[in-house]
Amino acid sequence: MKRNDASVFNYLLLIPGVGFIVLFIGSSIFITITQSFGLLSVSGKSQFTFENWRQLFHDKESLDSILFSLKMGLLSSIGTLIFSFPVALFLRKGGAGKRFLASLIKIPLFVPALVAAFLIINLISYHGIINEVLVALGFIKKPLRMLNDKFGWGVVAIQVWKNLPFVLLILSSSLASIRDDTVDAARNLGAGSWAVLFHIYIPLAMPGILVSMILMFIKAFGDFAITSVAGPTYPPSIALRMRNTATLFQEWDKAAVLGVVIILTTIVITWLYARLAEFVTGRH
Amino acid sequence: MAESKNTPAVLRHVLQARRKRRLAILLTAFFIIVQIIWVGLPIVMTVLWSLVDPNHPWSYPNMFPEKLSWGQWAYVFKYTNIIRALRTSYSIAPLAVVLSFLLSMPTAYVLGRKRLPGKKLFQTLVLLPIIMPGMVVALFLSRVFTAFGLAQSFFGLVLAHTLMGLPYMIRVLTTSFEAIPQDIIDAAENLGANTFVKIKDIFLPMVRPGLLAGMVFAFTTSIEEFNLTFVIGTPTFETIPTILYSFLGYNFIRTNASVVALIMMIPNIVMLFIVENILKSDYLSASLGKL
Repeated sequence: MKRNDASVFNYLLLIPGVGFIVLFIGSSIFITITQSFGLLSVSGKSQFTFENWRQLFHDKESLDSILFSLKMGLLSSIGTLIFSFPVALFLRKGGAGKRFLASLIKIPLFVPALVAAFLIINLISYHGIINEVLVALGFIKKPLRMLNDKFGWGVVAIQVWKNLPFVLLILSSSLASIRDDTVDAARNLGAGSWAVLFHIYIPLAMPGILVSMILMFIKAFGDFAITSVAGPTYPPSIALRMRNTATLFQEWDKAAVLGVVIILTTIVITWLYARLAEFVTGRH
Repeated sequence: MAESKNTPAVLRHVLQARRKRRLAILLTAFFIIVQIIWVGLPIVMTVLWSLVDPNHPWSYPNMFPEKLSWGQWAYVFKYTNIIRALRTSYSIAPLAVVLSFLLSMPTAYVLGRKRLPGKKLFQTLVLLPIIMPGMVVALFLSRVFTAFGLAQSFFGLVLAHTLMGLPYMIRVLTTSFEAIPQDIIDAAENLGANTFVKIKDIFLPMVRPGLLAGMVFAFTTSIEEFNLTFVIGTPTFETIPTILYSFLGYNFIRTNASVVALIMMIPNIVMLFIVENILKSDYLSASLGKL
């Protein structure tokens, strides 16, 4: 018989941890939503209105920052995946020196995001080491502008550097769950390395790939600190625009609209990826 | 030995296996070198920048600083608010760790040992602070905090940091509780152990490694926390990350920023590596890998 411990007492024990989180996160989401409609504003008067939402669609800077953040989210998640998947595959089987390699790779995980941003800034800035080496070797005449560049490559580079080990951990654990028997069977039936990669490793690791991409997207899309330090002067990331609207211009209701946009995008992307995962793994 | 048609099949297999192994080692060596550059170069550059002598600036086109000294370190400790920020950071962190430990023990116990309808949902809810975009939570939690008089207060910051550390603490402890064999608990109950004895003699000793890992994760998370501290604490309270942010922002001072970055980074790396090596089993992947 299946054991079931559903008792009031056990649910009560969940309250300190889960309750604390739900109370704090829930109240902040609740306030974001109500304030975007002009309600429950802590300072100033409260009145229900769609005005803030209407204005969003006429505010070029906000629309630009939404597009910019979407781009950053997408590129960072793809970039991290491209760099980490081959490494995860390589580390799947043990071997001499791989433990050492794994712990080397893990270092950026322990480096705070702001510090990571600064570390990479030192490399890619106008007189950073990459530019100096390229100039010294004669590849380019003038240093390239990689920091605060218009496109945002600097931000993507920082996101990839910082989050590679995090994505690698997720990918490794989903690759580790693939049994060697499956791979051996495919090889016995004549599958080459590419066939094994495309028909075994990638499909079977797909849940891990999708989860890591979702998490990376959410992180890079909602990022404040890295973009504000290394991003282009215009447009700001959506989180940066939201914070400026709130604390510099004191327009909390408009900031709340942007907050809801961030939360909604996060939910929609997660849902889309989840549907994609169902589609790919063939579970409907 | 060269391969020819006369080489016996067994020997050919051995040679092939050896070639494969050699290729694997070469590849490992290649990846290690790439990683040393990828991870090491940014860190070495920062260390160099923090050691640039104030009177001999490191400027283009010099590949290395002309003269190294501790001058920048002395300057940062003397003329910036770093000491106060260190004090703030390192007094919030232990309080947040203790609070998140107290809050997560009962929850992790239930999540790790009990079968409940809706457990999956609760396990996902626990991850909310990690998943939710930090700045949204920070800005509008600060509105809630303002309403309750917690904004710009030390206690408010401790609560905020507890919130960010809880997911790690709960997840790691849940994994530890799951790993306790039911036999031991049954045996103890047969021998007449009451709840108090079970907690003292079984649960606490058996989750201790996980607890250590969870505490270190919560501690380092608190030291690194930026968004909530920046919105809820500034300008009353400065922590190491908010000071670093100010050095990276409109008054970009690379040498000062290098010193602060190292002050923030080194203790965290050391702590996390100690945890990884003492505990052997991979707590990082146990807690994060299976999101």
